[in-house]
Amino acid sequence: MKNRIKVFRAMHDLTQEALAHHLGVTRQTIQAIETGKYDPSLPLAGKIAHYFHTTIEEIFIFDFEDEPSR
Amino acid sequence: MKKNVFNLLIAIIAVLEVLLFVWAFRIRAPFPFVAGLLLGIAVIFLARMYVDDLMEDERTRKIREQTALTTLQISWIALLAFSLWMIIEGAGNRANPELRRLGVFGIGLLLVNAGMIIVFILLSFYFRKQYGE
Repeated sequence: MKNRIKVFRAMHDLTQEALAHHLGVTRQTIQAIETGKYDPSLPLAGKIAHYFHTTIEEIFIFDFEDEPSR
Repeated sequence: MKKNVFNLLIAIIAVLEVLLFVWAFRIRAPFPFVAGLLLGIAVIFLARMYVDDLMEDERTRKIREQTALTTLQISWIALLAFSLWMIIEGAGNRANPELRRLGVFGIGLLLVNAGMIIVFILLSFYFRKQYGE
């Protein structure tokens, strides 16, 4: 799953540390989400979208072909 | 308290525990070591409450869950192989009582393994109910 957190962070002039603090997660989690190593839970994705006053779909781009079939 | 200070505290306690173990081993007194171990764990838990930085979130919890499950799976397989090896080597060996004891110990280990599997199954039923089935 791709995301545009880095773009939104830049738009709001926020560091990873500051965003993590606002969301109640560690800086490493924000970094892992930005680099695509970790997909956040739905509540965290919702919190991120809410923080940037946008929707989850605006931030997270679900790539069906990249996802492994379960 | 900063996270780094907390990590340093853990390292100091770990070193003290090792020294305590060596001392307790030399004087053949297990009680001071067990008491020291419990005290050390209690200090770590108490100190953890005073850490200002965030220590845990959903990603760290997921990492811990995945690590615990993988460790459990590896332990099962290793324990099963080890206990079966001891049973084959020792159980029923009437000629050598040492090997026979090894076999009995192997049966004990196998029972521990079976107990772990039973606990795992019971807990999985509990969590299935909790998360809906």
